Amino acid sequence: MDVRRLLANRYVVVLGSIALLAVVWNAYAALNSDGRISGRVVGPDGAPVQGAVVRLQERTLTTLEPRTTATTGPSGEFRFTGHRLHHFVLEATKDGVGRAPRTAYRLYFRGQNYVLAEPLRLERTP
Amino acid sequence: MSRLGTWPVHLALVAVSTLMLVPFYWVLKTSLTGENIFAYPPAFLPVKPHVFYYVDVWYYIPFVRFLLNSVVVSAIVVLASTAFNAMAGYALTQRFRGKRAIILLLLSCMLIPFQATIIPAYLITKELGLLNSHLGLALPLCSTIICIFVFKASFDAVPRSLMDAARIDGLPEWRIILIVMLPLSTSAIATNVILSFIWSWNNFLWPLIIVRSQEMQTLPLGLSTFLSYLENTTGALYAFCIMVLVPGLGLFLMEQKRFIQGLTSGATKG
Repeated sequence: MDVRRLLANRYVVVLGSIALLAVVWNAYAALNSDGRISGRVVGPDGAPVQGAVVRLQERTLTTLEPRTTATTGPSGEFRFTGHRLHHFVLEATKDGVGRAPRTAYRLYFRGQNYVLAEPLRLERTP
Repeated sequence: MSRLGTWPVHLALVAVSTLMLVPFYWVLKTSLTGENIFAYPPAFLPVKPHVFYYVDVWYYIPFVRFLLNSVVVSAIVVLASTAFNAMAGYALTQRFRGKRAIILLLLSCMLIPFQATIIPAYLITKELGLLNSHLGLALPLCSTIICIFVFKASFDAVPRSLMDAARIDGLPEWRIILIVMLPLSTSAIATNVILSFIWSWNNFLWPLIIVRSQEMQTLPLGLSTFLSYLENTTGALYAFCIMVLVPGLGLFLMEQKRFIQGLTSGATKG
């Protein structure tokens, strides 16, 4: 069969396009899946909070599973590495300052590197 | 009909088509928004759509495994049903005593729902040692009466002189089917492929009965994962429905011309 005609076959075009997309997507995922989650924690006044505990929990279909914790540095930054999550919840607390409410995040693939767009803001608890 | 006179018909067809597509649109919209189906007033356009429910489906169930099982079972069904239905259809084009009775028997068997014969089917599959296997999953759809008649209608349209010429040339019956009849019945093959694929792909009850382990589950069985009384899993459930539907829909769209030809072949035979 003529190669040009074979390439114009609808099955070759559709299945080939899907295969190509899958290869490109998997290559992108492989290059961006170190499992890094990073962000900052700020206080009610917007100032960075050092020593706040950030909890990482996995959101399954029906439950929240605790995974790990991190403590913020001098400029309120924190970082998790090596996670294999695609749907997770973060919450931060610091005694005497307050608590950041649980916030859920979704990723496009497991272990995707992610930087929080907004810092976790601690709110004073009564 | 004049050119001016066709637009009301087209308008009516577009309106009816739109009406029929609304449920599919609703499933697609819900899969992108996760909106509760009981929300009032319902939003016709998707609000803040995203693809994360599809990501959930991909990771919450062994989707690739289920997909592979569905593909393997559908492939077995398509190949086996094409072979068996073509042979049965060819047999019904021949002249033999009791042919009318066999046709009547086959037609009457179509009236019996699968649910009524599921226990004998299960017992036979068990005796064959095919429970919890791909072949066992494919077995009930390896021959279907509707497709036998699709092949019969298509073979009836082939001039008998061609078969006679092939016999005079010394071809055995199976080679007459393979070399003479099937190449002249591509529409019937396409119809058989599409129907058997869709039936196998969407089959829920039979896999539910004979599958024992998660490794052998097919895609429709994965639906039960997303039925939860505790959490709102609407978005993931609808995303899963779309992911199950898309392969069948794609196959139909790519083969719709032959599919329609196959269903109507013989309908206008005088």
